[in-house]
Amino acid sequence: MAILEIKDLSFTYPKQGISALSGVSFEIEKGDFALLCGATGSGKSTLMRLLKREIRPLGELKGEVRFEGKSIDELSERDSAFRVGFVTQKPEQQTVTDKVWHELAFGLENLGLRSDEIRRRVAEMACFFGIEGWFDKKVSELSGGQKQLLNLASVMVMQPDVLLLDEPTAQLDPIAASEFIATVVKLNRELSLTVLMIEHRLEEALPVCDKLIFLKDGALYAFGEMRSCVKSIMRDSEFLNYLPAAVRIFAAVEHGSACPVTVNEGRKYIEAGFDDSIKSLPERETPAHGSTALEFKDVWFRYERNSGDVLRGLSFTLWEGEILCVLGGNGSGKSTMLACAAGLHKPYSGRINVFGKRIKDYKNQMLYKNCLALMPQDVQTVFLRNSVREELEDCDISALPFDLAPYYDMHPYDLSGGQQQLLALAKVLSCKPRLLMLDEPTKGLDANTKAEFAAIIRKLKAAGVTILCVTHDVEFASQLADRAAMFFLGEITSCDETRRFFAANSFYTTSVSRMTRGRYENAVTVEDAVALLKLNGVRK
Amino acid sequence: MKALDSFNPLAVFVYFMASAGIAMFSMDPVILLLSMLGAVTLFVIRREGRQTGTHLFSLFLFLTLTVINPLFQHNGRTVLFVLNDNPITLEALLYGADAAAMVVSVLYWFRSFSSIITSDKLLYLFGLLSPKPALMISMALRFVPLFRMQAKRTDMAQRALGKYKEDNAIDFIRMKLSVFSIMVSWALENGIITADSMAARGYGTGRRTCFSPYKFRPQDALLLGLSLMLAGAVGAAMALGGLEFAFYPTVSKISPDFLRLAAYIAYALLSFLPATIEIGDALKWQYLRSRI
Amino acid sequence: MKPIRNEKLRRTVRYLVPFVLAPGFVALGITVFHEKRYAFISLCIAVSAVALFATGFDKKRTGSRRLVIVSVLTALSIVGRFIPIFKPVTALTVLTGMYLGAESGFLAGSLTAVLSNFYFGQGPWTPFQMLSWGLLGFLAGILAEPLKRSRVLLFIYGIIAGALYSFIMDVWTVVWYNGDFSIKLYLAALVSAIPYTVSYVVSNVVFLWVFAKPFGEKLTRMHIKYGI
Repeated sequence: MAILEIKDLSFTYPKQGISALSGVSFEIEKGDFALLCGATGSGKSTLMRLLKREIRPLGELKGEVRFEGKSIDELSERDSAFRVGFVTQKPEQQTVTDKVWHELAFGLENLGLRSDEIRRRVAEMACFFGIEGWFDKKVSELSGGQKQLLNLASVMVMQPDVLLLDEPTAQLDPIAASEFIATVVKLNRELSLTVLMIEHRLEEALPVCDKLIFLKDGALYAFGEMRSCVKSIMRDSEFLNYLPAAVRIFAAVEHGSACPVTVNEGRKYIEAGFDDSIKSLPERETPAHGSTALEFKDVWFRYERNSGDVLRGLSFTLWEGEILCVLGGNGSGKSTMLACAAGLHKPYSGRINVFGKRIKDYKNQMLYKNCLALMPQDVQTVFLRNSVREELEDCDISALPFDLAPYYDMHPYDLSGGQQQLLALAKVLSCKPRLLMLDEPTKGLDANTKAEFAAIIRKLKAAGVTILCVTHDVEFASQLADRAAMFFLGEITSCDETRRFFAANSFYTTSVSRMTRGRYENAVTVEDAVALLKLNGVRK
Repeated sequence: MKALDSFNPLAVFVYFMASAGIAMFSMDPVILLLSMLGAVTLFVIRREGRQTGTHLFSLFLFLTLTVINPLFQHNGRTVLFVLNDNPITLEALLYGADAAAMVVSVLYWFRSFSSIITSDKLLYLFGLLSPKPALMISMALRFVPLFRMQAKRTDMAQRALGKYKEDNAIDFIRMKLSVFSIMVSWALENGIITADSMAARGYGTGRRTCFSPYKFRPQDALLLGLSLMLAGAVGAAMALGGLEFAFYPTVSKISPDFLRLAAYIAYALLSFLPATIEIGDALKWQYLRSRI
Repeated sequence: MKPIRNEKLRRTVRYLVPFVLAPGFVALGITVFHEKRYAFISLCIAVSAVALFATGFDKKRTGSRRLVIVSVLTALSIVGRFIPIFKPVTALTVLTGMYLGAESGFLAGSLTAVLSNFYFGQGPWTPFQMLSWGLLGFLAGILAEPLKRSRVLLFIYGIIAGALYSFIMDVWTVVWYNGDFSIKLYLAALVSAIPYTVSYVVSNVVFLWVFAKPFGEKLTRMHIKYGI
């Protein structure tokens, strides 16, 4: 029997003409792992929030949601709250209490359980999730990934039958995201927990799911078993970007019938189907270096006198007019490097030059006037006003390479993640920087929004702006950068032209590079791989 | 020595209210002396941070408070000298010392109190009273480090956007205010996510319990029982007038009657109870370790 | 008894305790009891008044959103207390009372006092700070309508609140130390506290002046969008 039945569901937000959802129907079986996908604004989050009464948004609702054959409106308060669990994307804001043990106990306190029963369940859950080690810690001392695992654990402790996850890995770095998804898979496989997850990171989540649900403009676009659903949507260019690299290669070369999904399947597909007489694509020309935009010379930095070094003799040069992407794990000091370059932290040794002049020689905030600007990781730190129009007051709107006009009357916090990113970029560009620094600009963006953002950055480059971008999104870096660098333990360990850089890495590289390693020499992006496969032709 | 940290917060709370409370409303110098000795001993053997600094500050406070009283209070028979036509009396000076001993010993009690009753224990105590403010305390404690971090981030973001126009004080204040304003928006908007997360986990669906990781063990019963008994004994002696003490016009003599002696013994036991627990625990550990 | 009268009675009790009973007890303690007992009695009253409010708040069914918003404002004023010299605590408490109701104002004020004292030092003054800040928030909640309408009134309230806070805390300081209310000592305490009083008054006015409008807008938006 279906555990969740969505029947002809429509929804309209108050004071809005267009409905956010119209006539969506599908069913999820007990024990299913279902992925819910779609572009920003396609109604994914709205749909998910309608499945749980407590978090249902205000508005006009038609149709019905049934849980175990019963309308969710008929469920008791307790069943509704405790049998359907919900985890959303912001790890920080979902935790309610200040201590890990209290957070785990929170839901059970609401259930009205006695202390000894709570203690038993909490202990069990802490063991299952392997969080005994930080059981007594304060929530504020945990990393983002740990916080999100804690959020999951503190929902699981109530023993729900269905788990709703709204982009749970959006704010996590790739390692933490993998760990989170692996935990969800374990819950699904070992406890037959039904999972419905909204996710942009399909590269990892898609191969493990049973069912796919695609929404487009508030309507159900595709629904079905994973492999058949992938086949039916890969012809649609709007969705193609969301799919894993192997699927995109398959869609572009139009060969064979079985569509590969994982990296491993992609490699087998390529090895079985294509020649390898031509090993590599022609090398890209490295453009001649102009003058330096930013230069680090043996820079050492630590936050406190008695703490460890965060930057350890960092040296590198950023040339004017190029895009350099710096990759590296969490806590490797990438963001600290940007803060030092922006004059926010002062290194205790070494020298930083911006456009040939030492940072300390920029007096009276001149560093930020027509010189450099840093777009922060958390863009909500730049919004001060009540509408986009007011936010843009001191910006030269005509000079922006994108249009924010449709959102002028909206509140900045009502914009989607991608739109907030653009609004922040507009504010950053208002000080007319010649050097633009970006800190994790793709966090929480979907594939299409990322591609749009990359296009905007390239337009800025064409207009003469030098760009330094710090990210752990290898796919984005491989699309955007002229040069890429690896940051490890406070210094740059390798730096090269983008394609050479990724081709030389074995693990920290794009999935296409991992798929073609050993067979071809420098295929890094899907486009590279497709070009090479077409050059080589189908194996006879 | 941190044995008291593992006691049930309720027992510890009652103990401190009893020991500091009696000190606060007794004027008897012997009681205050005992209170001072007990509080300082506890503070010293628990090795709370900044020992010397605290003692120096306490000494300074004690001397200041002692001197203030005779400057304002001119009762008393024994005139020491005359200042600006006002007699400075021995009785007023002694009264000042008495009050200063009370203030300083209560401060010492509270130093140890706040190191033992940490914020999550306070939360538990509030939870006994009413769960909702207890939850609010937990949330506020969760938000404080989050907001401090976010305020730092916001300030850096604004600086790197060139929002600090000049290097001067007015611009600095203007920017700090707008950073705070950004923080308020951010905190309120993101608070909604917290609220949804609470609702999603069934907050408000029924009678909420308050989970406590603190058990009530025999040692807690003992501490609670002894605190109440000894404080009750001192209280009874006070109510019967056994601890009457006057400074004006002349300082009373302490007569060793039964009631007074009983109250002194009871308070001495009360005052040194936590120090005894700490030392006893340390000895126990030493013994247990010696057998390994 | 009809529900309306019942409600009225409950409200009367709630208003009586902080404004009549608690000060009354203190006055009684000062005039009737001898020696130092009223230091303890007033402490008891402060604690019981705070407890009464806390339990009163608990009876009402408060939505999770409202609860979070009050906690957020409490945390903001705790963070604000770290700002040197100028403290936005009273201003934030007043605004909480104005926009979220008297009880919320009381809770925000009193919880700020007890929690921030984990950083600034706990002592027997904690219950009095809880009571003073709580009452300033509570009173702002009762006077919400006129305060929202007129900025001048709001500033006057800020000035009075700053002075009142200082006056209340000094009464406690004197009673605690002297064991008796001495007008001479009280005046001395007031005089020595002038720099603090001035900084309270100035920060109240400055922060109310800067925050009143944006705060109103932000909380109004919360009200429209999320129904708080």
